[in-house]
Amino acid sequence: MTEPLIELRDIEKHFGAVIALAGVSLSVYPGECHCLLGDNGAGKSTFIKTMAGVHKPTKGQIFMGGQEVFFNSARDAIEAGIATVYQDLAMIPLMSVTRNFWMGREPKRRVGLINVMDFDKANGVTMEEMKKMGINLREPDQAVGTLSGGERQTVAIARAVYFGAKVLILDEPTSALGVRQTSNVLATIDKVRKKGIGVVFISHNVRHAMAVGDRFTVLNRGQTLGTAKRGEIEPEALQEMMAGGQELAELEGSLGGTV
Amino acid sequence: MKGLLRRTIGVAMGTLIAVAGVAGTAWAEGEKIILVSHAPDSDSWWNTIKNGLALAGDQVGAEVEYRNPPTGDIADMARIIEQSAASNPDGIITTLADPDVLSGPIQNAVAKGIPVIIINSGTPEQAAEVGALMYIGQPEYDAGLAAGQRAKRDGIGSFLCVNHVVSNPVVGERCRGFADGLGVELGSSMIDSGQDPAEIKNKVKAYLSANPDTQAVLTLGPTSADPTIEALKENGMAGDLYFGTFDLGTEIVKGIKDGTIQWGIDQQPFLQAYLPVIVLANYKRYGVLPGNNINSGPGFVTKDALAKVEEFAGEYR
Amino acid sequence: MSEATTNTADKDERIKEISRFRKAMIRPELGSICGVILVFVFFLLVARDSGMFSAEGVMNWGLVSAQFAIIAVGACLLMIAGEFDLSVGSMIGFSGIIIALMSVTYGFPMWIAILTAFAVALFVGYINGYLVIKTGLPSFIVTLAFLYILRGLTIFAAIATTNKTIIGGVRDAAEGDWLASLFGGKIFYGFFVWLADIGVIGKFVAGNRAGEPVIDGIPMLIVWAIALIIFAHILLTRTQFGNWIYASGGNAQAASYSGVPVNRVKILMFMFTAFCATVFATCQVMEFGSAAADRGLLKEFEAIISVVIGGALLTGGYGSVIGAALGALIFGVVQQGLFFANVESSLFRVFLGAILLLAVILNTYIRRIITGER
Repeated sequence: MTEPLIELRDIEKHFGAVIALAGVSLSVYPGECHCLLGDNGAGKSTFIKTMAGVHKPTKGQIFMGGQEVFFNSARDAIEAGIATVYQDLAMIPLMSVTRNFWMGREPKRRVGLINVMDFDKANGVTMEEMKKMGINLREPDQAVGTLSGGERQTVAIARAVYFGAKVLILDEPTSALGVRQTSNVLATIDKVRKKGIGVVFISHNVRHAMAVGDRFTVLNRGQTLGTAKRGEIEPEALQEMMAGGQELAELEGSLGGTV
Repeated sequence: MKGLLRRTIGVAMGTLIAVAGVAGTAWAEGEKIILVSHAPDSDSWWNTIKNGLALAGDQVGAEVEYRNPPTGDIADMARIIEQSAASNPDGIITTLADPDVLSGPIQNAVAKGIPVIIINSGTPEQAAEVGALMYIGQPEYDAGLAAGQRAKRDGIGSFLCVNHVVSNPVVGERCRGFADGLGVELGSSMIDSGQDPAEIKNKVKAYLSANPDTQAVLTLGPTSADPTIEALKENGMAGDLYFGTFDLGTEIVKGIKDGTIQWGIDQQPFLQAYLPVIVLANYKRYGVLPGNNINSGPGFVTKDALAKVEEFAGEYR
Repeated sequence: MSEATTNTADKDERIKEISRFRKAMIRPELGSICGVILVFVFFLLVARDSGMFSAEGVMNWGLVSAQFAIIAVGACLLMIAGEFDLSVGSMIGFSGIIIALMSVTYGFPMWIAILTAFAVALFVGYINGYLVIKTGLPSFIVTLAFLYILRGLTIFAAIATTNKTIIGGVRDAAEGDWLASLFGGKIFYGFFVWLADIGVIGKFVAGNRAGEPVIDGIPMLIVWAIALIIFAHILLTRTQFGNWIYASGGNAQAASYSGVPVNRVKILMFMFTAFCATVFATCQVMEFGSAAADRGLLKEFEAIISVVIGGALLTGGYGSVIGAALGALIFGVVQQGLFFANVESSLFRVFLGAILLLAVILNTYIRRIITGER
C-alpha cells in the first residue's frame, strides 16, 4: 500500500472545559474516498476544521507525505493541498460562476499600467472544468444563485480540483439535496477520486456513504469508534455505531429497519 | 412581481403628472422674483418672510418664489443662487449668511444683469461689495450693541447667550454686540444650544444652575426663546431673570405679556421680504430705486403696544 | 472551450434560452437608466424654457450631481463590500475644517493642509474599518458613533481655535498653490470662451466680469467625479481586488475560506469612502473659500440613496458603480430641477421618496432575474 496523503494521529481538541475531540485518528490515501460518519455533535465539524487549519489541535499530530505539518491558518492548509467545501458556505450566490470559481486566486493580465483580471482565461477555464464535471453552463457569467444546490457543490468541487487539491474535504455535500442531485454529486466524487485525489466525505447518511466510500470511520462523542473497509461492514452496523447504542436498534426494530 | 412593477410605474407617472400640475399653476403674469434664504426647513421664523413675500407678490402682480437649502447648508444655498440665476429671473432677493461662500454666486448673478437685493444677514458694506442694489435688514452687531446698552442701563452685568445657529457667524454677532454693549467679555457666556427644543431647554437649565449669578439671558430667535421660556418657568426664574430676545413669535409675545421677557427686538422680517419685492418690481417697471439702504429694525417691543404684534405674530410680525 | 457554447446538443434542455435583447437589458444599472430617462423626460416637459437646459443650468445640476457622485462612489464600493459608512457627512465637515484651520489659522502652505486632511481622513477610515472588523459590531453602529464624534470634534476645533464655526479666507490662502488648483481649478477655459464667442453660451453683461462667458470651464469637482467613477468601475469589474470586494460583501466567511483577505478589503473600502468624502470637502472648500462646521449634514444618506437607486443591494455583494453614478445624477437633477420647474420646494422630498421607492422595487425585480433569488 502507498503512503497516506494525510494522516492525523490522536487528535484532541478542547474548547475551554469542553472536550470536543478526545483522540481521533484518520488517514487518507490517494484515490480513496474516506467517509467520516457521525451523528450531530459527534465532533465531525471540529475534526474537519482541524484538518483544514481553521482550528489548531490541542494535542496530536498531523502528517502529510510522512512529514509532520503544523497549520496556523486555513491558508496554510490550502497551500498544503487541503481543500474544503463547506456545506452552506461553498459559493456566493450573487456572484457569477466564474467569479466564484476564481475567488481568491484570480488570474491576472497586464493592460497598460494596471493588472486586470483575465476574464477570457477565467471564463474559458471555468466552462471547461464545469464541462468535465458534467455541467454545461449557459454562460460563465451567470450567477451561482441560478444554479441548483448540486450544481453549486459541483462548482466548488471543480474549483478545488482545478487548483490542485490533494485532499478534498466535503462537508455534508448531499444533506440538503434531492435524489437526482445527490447522485450527480456522488458521481462527481467518483470522478475526483479517479484523478488520484483523496476525498474525505462527511455525512450522516449511511446510504450515501456506502455508495462511494472505500473506508468508513465513525465518530461518536469525540472519539473514533473504528475504521472499516468497504465490504467488511454492513450498513446496519454503521448505523448502529453512529447512534452509539441500543435505543436506536430498538427503534429500528419498531420502524421496520428503515432508519 | 411584474404586475406590481407595472402598477408602481403607473403610480409614479401619476405622481409626476400631479406634481407637474402644481408646477403649472405657479406661472403668472408679471416679474419673476426669487427669494433665497439660508434657513433650514425647520426654522419657522421664516414663515413671516414667506407671507410678506407672497403678499407683496400679490399686491404688485409679480410672480414670487421662496427657496432655501433644506438642511441650512450654506454651500447648498450657493447652488440654489446659481440655479436661480440660471433661470433668468427679474430679480433675486437673498441673504449674505456667509459672504465667502455666497459672494461668488451673487456676483455672477449681478454680472448676468440680474438685480439683487441683500436682506437679513450681512452688512450694508458687504451688500455693496457684491454689487447688490441695496441692503434691507437689521445690522446685527449694531442691534446687539443697542440691546446690550439698554440692558446695562437696566443694571445688568452678566448674561447667557443662547445661540441655536452657531454655524451662522452673522447671528453670533448679536451676542458679541450685546457683550460689548454691557461692557463684558463674551467668553463662555455663549452656548451652542442646537435646534432641538428639549435640548435647548435642558442646556439653559443646566447653565443657569451651574452659573447661578447670571443676571440676564439673551436668545437669538423663537427657536431658542421658546424653550428658554419653558426652562425659566420650570426652574422658577421666570420674571426674575432679565430676559431679552431677538425676533418675535407667538410664544415670545406671550412671554412679553406675562412679564417673563422684558423686551423683544423686532427686526420686522415682514419688511425684509415685502419691501424688496416692491422695490424690484418698480425698479424693473419704471427704473426707480430708493437712494439708500433700508433698516427694517431694530425696534424694541415691550409690554406696551403689543396689540398689533399679538394679532399678527407669526404671520406678518 | 468554445465548443461548449456552440454545440447546442450539449445544452441542458431545461435552461431557458434568453434573448440577446433581454440579456442586454437585464443589468444592475437598468433601474437607474430607466430613472434617468424618466427624470429627463419629466423635466424636458415641465421646465424646458426655464433655463434648466441652458449651459448654466446644465452646469448647475451637473455640479450638484457630481458632488453626489463623488461620495456615492465611495459608499457604493463599501456597500458592495458589505458595510456602511454613516460618518461621510461628518467627515466632509471635519476635513474642510482641518484644511481651513491649517492653512488660514496656522498659516501652513495649502498643499500641506490638504495632504494633512487626506492623511487624517484615511486614518479615520482605517479606525472605522478596524473597529468594525475587530469588534464584529455592525458598521451601522460604529460609523454612527463617528458621525457624532467627528461632528463634535469639528465644531469644537473650530470654536476653540477661532471662536467661529465658519473659517473664511481659504481662497486667498490657496492662491497659486499647486495642489489646491487640482481641487478648485477649472479646465478648458479657452473652449468655453470660444463657445461664448460663437454664441452657444451667454456672456456676462455687467459688473467686473462683463464680456466673460457665463461658464468659464469645467470645474475640477466634475473632473474628480468622472475620474473616481472610472477608477472605481474598473477596480470593481475588471480587477482581482474587485472580485474580492464582491466576495467580501457576498459572504465574508466563504470569501475568507477561499483565501480572500476580507478584513483588508473592508478596511481599505472604509478608507476609500473617507478619501471620497475628503475629495468632496476639498473641492467645496476651494470653490467657496470657507469651511464651516455644519457642512455635509445628511450627506451620508444622500450617498447611500444614490447607491441604492443605482441598484446596489443594502446587504452587500451586489451593485454597480455606474448605477451609483446614475443614481447621483437622478438625485442632482431632481433636487435642482424642481427649482427650475417652479415646484414648491417642500415637494422635493415627496418626489425623492417616490423615485427611491420606484428604483428599489425595479432593482429588486431585476436582481431576482439575474441572480435566481427566490
